[in-house]
Amino acid sequence: MRMYMKFRLAAVLGTTLLALTACDGGGARSTGGAAAGGDGGGGTSPALSLAAQVGQKAFFDKTLSSGKNMSCASCHSPQYAYGPPNSLAVQLGSDPEQAGVRAVPSLRYKDATPPYDDNAANPDGVTLASAGGGFMWDGRAATLAAQVALPLLNPVEMNNPSKDAVVQAVKNGSYAELFRQAFGANVLDDSDAAFTALGEAIEAFEHEDVSFHPYSSKFDLYVFNKIGGTLSAAEMRGLVVFNTAETGNCAACHYAGVSFDGNQGLMTDFTYQALGAPRNDRSIPGNPDPIPANDDPAYDDMGLCGPYREDHTPAQLGTPDPYCGQFKVPTLRNVATRSAFFHNGVFHSLNQVLHFYNTRDTHPEYWYPGSGGSGTPVANPDYALQPRYVPGASVAKFNDLPAAEQGNVDEEVPLGSGITPDDNVNATTLGDGVRPREVGAEPAMSEEQMADLACFLGTLTDGYQVPDAAPSSGPCVE
Amino acid sequence: MFSRNALTLTPIAAACCMLAACGNDDNGTTYGGLVASSAYVAGSATGDPTLKAGHYQGATVCVDANGNGKCDSAEKSATTDSAGHFSLKTADSGDFIADITTSAINTADGAAVSRHLILRASADQVKDQGDAGIVISPASSEVQRLVEANGSSYATEKANLATRLSGPAFNQGTATLSGTDVLADVNTLSGAAQYALLYAYNELGNRYTYATTKFDRGDKYPDALAVAGGDPRLSGLSGITAGETVPADTRKAISFEQAQQAAFNIEGVPAYDNIFIIMLENKSTDAVLGNSRAPQVNGYLAQYNQLTTYYSTGNPSEPNYTALGGGDDWGITDDNWFGCGAAGANAPTDSAFAGGSASDGQPLPKQDALPPLDSKHLAGFSTTAGAPCSTSPTGGTNHNAPGDNLFTLLSKAGLTWRTYSESMNPGQDVRADSIADPAVVDTYDETDSDGTHLVGTSNYAVVNGLYKVKHGPSIAYQTARKLPEFVADNRTIFGTQYTEADWKKTSVYTVPDGWMYDQFGADLAAGDVGTVNFVVPDQCDDMHGVGSDTSCSNNNNGKTDGITRSDIYVGKVVSAIRSSALWKNPQKRVAIVIMFDEGEGSSTSCCGWNAGGKNSGDAPVTVDAIGTATATSQPSGYGNGNIGHGNSIFSVITNQQDVGTAAKGVKDSDAYSHFSLVRTLQDMFQIADPGVDASYLNRAKYTEAFIAQNLTALPEFAGSADTHFDSVRPINHAYVIPANYVQRLNPVDVNGSLGTDGTVVTPQTGPDANQNNVWALK
Repeated sequence: MRMYMKFRLAAVLGTTLLALTACDGGGARSTGGAAAGGDGGGGTSPALSLAAQVGQKAFFDKTLSSGKNMSCASCHSPQYAYGPPNSLAVQLGSDPEQAGVRAVPSLRYKDATPPYDDNAANPDGVTLASAGGGFMWDGRAATLAAQVALPLLNPVEMNNPSKDAVVQAVKNGSYAELFRQAFGANVLDDSDAAFTALGEAIEAFEHEDVSFHPYSSKFDLYVFNKIGGTLSAAEMRGLVVFNTAETGNCAACHYAGVSFDGNQGLMTDFTYQALGAPRNDRSIPGNPDPIPANDDPAYDDMGLCGPYREDHTPAQLGTPDPYCGQFKVPTLRNVATRSAFFHNGVFHSLNQVLHFYNTRDTHPEYWYPGSGGSGTPVANPDYALQPRYVPGASVAKFNDLPAAEQGNVDEEVPLGSGITPDDNVNATTLGDGVRPREVGAEPAMSEEQMADLACFLGTLTDGYQVPDAAPSSGPCVE
Repeated sequence: MFSRNALTLTPIAAACCMLAACGNDDNGTTYGGLVASSAYVAGSATGDPTLKAGHYQGATVCVDANGNGKCDSAEKSATTDSAGHFSLKTADSGDFIADITTSAINTADGAAVSRHLILRASADQVKDQGDAGIVISPASSEVQRLVEANGSSYATEKANLATRLSGPAFNQGTATLSGTDVLADVNTLSGAAQYALLYAYNELGNRYTYATTKFDRGDKYPDALAVAGGDPRLSGLSGITAGETVPADTRKAISFEQAQQAAFNIEGVPAYDNIFIIMLENKSTDAVLGNSRAPQVNGYLAQYNQLTTYYSTGNPSEPNYTALGGGDDWGITDDNWFGCGAAGANAPTDSAFAGGSASDGQPLPKQDALPPLDSKHLAGFSTTAGAPCSTSPTGGTNHNAPGDNLFTLLSKAGLTWRTYSESMNPGQDVRADSIADPAVVDTYDETDSDGTHLVGTSNYAVVNGLYKVKHGPSIAYQTARKLPEFVADNRTIFGTQYTEADWKKTSVYTVPDGWMYDQFGADLAAGDVGTVNFVVPDQCDDMHGVGSDTSCSNNNNGKTDGITRSDIYVGKVVSAIRSSALWKNPQKRVAIVIMFDEGEGSSTSCCGWNAGGKNSGDAPVTVDAIGTATATSQPSGYGNGNIGHGNSIFSVITNQQDVGTAAKGVKDSDAYSHFSLVRTLQDMFQIADPGVDASYLNRAKYTEAFIAQNLTALPEFAGSADTHFDSVRPINHAYVIPANYVQRLNPVDVNGSLGTDGTVVTPQTGPDANQNNVWALK
């Protein structure tokens, strides 16, 4: 066991060292604050294939951006579970005048994600087939290899003008020879082939390197029955909330069970949901980082139905379309290391997210801007996005979706009542007749249950080190 | 059979003459007799083994005056001649022993005896057969063993053995054996009676050979994993979780008589004659237990025996069935055909099958070396060269499992096995999935025991994949598919929706002349079922679901018509077994298991599982003669396997509960998995030796002691917080659960989940009400 641990640590150090060298300083990435999320431990990677070695170099290569200032790792930081290294809702581009339009997801635990399908099988074997799979918040990349092209060529991200420009940077880079060894002596002579190979290389790195799927959380120790994996009373109660359909119901989408290809515990079923997250714009008082694109009132990011994904664009805007507003269910592994949540990064703490789920319907005034009303404004709880509410004000619920698409929002527990119409027991949305929770009604979870749930979610953070002695006090003990 | 008397009179008469001529002198009595043998000859393609009758030449025969199981120098002995005869003059009294060493010849096959064997005949038998007519055989040993086991008499056990072997036998007619017959020289019998006795000789001979091994080796008695309370070997081992029940090791070297009994109760698992394992699909315990849609299954659970902490070992189906067939899923995480990932040395080496007929008369059409190469017949088949599921894979997880498995071990031991599968297309290759047949059309219409009348979609045609090879426990194993009897052992069982007449209208294959729609029913009637039988309902009768027939609708929550449909089918199968002469024969030991391949939801298992997950670096191990494991290099994808898929029900019904005195209502909550079941079957049918770890198939050898002694080769078990839970034991209820131990049900989906009746599943704390063994015979 001791030998095993030592070896594991060595592998992690190796990865970190390499990340630092490839990153030519810059100080953008802090190693403090979320060290636990950055531990790639939990197992040892077999030696990387040549392709994966190329992918590893490329992943940290800042020359693959127009300003030579941004690598994949700039936004997908190994220290933050390959998610964003800061609390920005959306990240700045290689051209710092530009900003992205969606929050950066973690790249961990992506291996089992199938390509997008309108009728994807659900890995739980129970839920009916639905939109599922694919990469990016709208699933428009079928594979990890295909996904690579999107940030590379996106003007608001790495901003390369062409595949050719990317391939030229590889040719000029230190690993051009390795690239040829992996993909053929002439591969760099054909930009299309080389660009495809680059995607395959990064995909190979993501598949092969254990840091992309370390399974080194306390939850893993628990599931695999290992010493140190005993959940505290609070964490165990949180797990029950997570699983229980009448309270947290998290497992319904953040599915913890067996998944495709021998994967398990991925905490997502790869499906798409419209949760009605508030618009991340300047209507939120004191919003630290509204999405610039949202300044245009005519702009709506509607996930599966566009504007970036193009195969479900409604024939006629303003008519109901079931795909509008749906975004991919992310993994909850390492969720406690994040500080930007949902596709538009509108939330900045896990506590806020849990309360949104719990009170979106019962207290919409906490989350959406109001207008009108009269009298003395009432202070909302400190977790609310909207600090106060004017009695009688009308609340712009689901304000990040055009009115015609608001029927797509999910009304399963805990957001809604989960009560389905008699003639459609599989319904999940408002438009399909699932009843919302009444305004002012009792939410699905108590404050204590949410606190317990947060404790459980904390066990999903990789790099867990078993303490010498179990803590006897603290918020997640009893 | 009736010719026996005529044949045997002559030697007896001759012996009498000899005795008269020689006379008794004051140095004792002159005894005469023979040592009878059988030999299993490999190669039968019918499903029933070729067994030959003969004698042991060169066996040492003595009267074991001191009862120590040996021919001591003070005990006069004789050596058998080429006809197996002996003549021994001795004043000793006691049981006769035939000491058959590796220098003896078995004239049945002319080969030297491969392992030391001691047989005996009791003094009571000698009295019965006469001084000159002694027949020492596996059957004579068996009668005396039963006398000792049951505290009964020679006459009783002779009659019991006759009862046991009488009845419909191997589709050769009805064997009618008297007590005299079963103890006679098998060479003098003929027909069904001779074959039934030869099968018993072979089976018993294996057992007594094993008993001799244990005796010679000086094994401690009982077997470590049969010790009441727990495995006493663990007290001296490091790395065992604190708080486990570990009794002191007070065992002593085994005596001859103990060895005789121990060979029929290996690791506390009694010897059975037959087992029927009915396989159902994809339901967690909470979706079946108490579910009013399954009244018959719940009736069996309530009335008979059950395991309450039974874990599947993989996801989806194929890895579970493959684990059931050989104790490992080899990293398979899909339902794809056996050629997937089978590159290089793993490439399929199946031979073409020339055709023939099975022991029960089923005509077997010829098969090519591989089934039709398309995705309709072979799941996942790819025509892209180099793709993992093409015929020329360059990568992927190997689906062509290597090495021995239950089927090859049974075959090598001269024992029989069958897989009874519903809804194979008549005339199809048994290694291919069944295919749609627009000409075979019918409406499902059946009624469950509680009166629920289920009618399916009217005139619904056969869809693709009613029969799926992913549900065949032998299919993934190359060596099983290479067995000469492989095709003959893949047999049919009656359907529900589609009748024999329906299938005969097939438009997709040619129906073989004389095709048997229900070999299962025919074999029960003709005594030709296997020693080990897997019963595999089709995907509408097994709770899986396929196609859109409304009666076949299935969901993992247990709230669909498919549950009722499967309950009806299980009831029919159980009823057919319980109506058979086999089941009703009080001297036979027959068991029915109703189980699921997997639960649902979370990826946990127990008992030999990959307890470290996909990064654990686990790999198959090789094991040397003293039980030291060495890890092999990890095959591609292997680490994805053996991770499990939750709990499901496991019901045991035995004929000794119906026609004997075995207790009912036994609940065993110790943790078991498919690997435990494989170990249990190996013990039950004596195709392993607890003294030789390597004799257990793959992960079935991962007992707590084995893991603790080989942790470096088994990295998946490092850091275990519950080494008992993580390790394999036979299903024998020997371990006593500590008082404060909380039952480990699949943690991620049981905690907080609601059962079908709306209650939260509550794990048990502490030991079971009693330690009764679900297989107990009385």
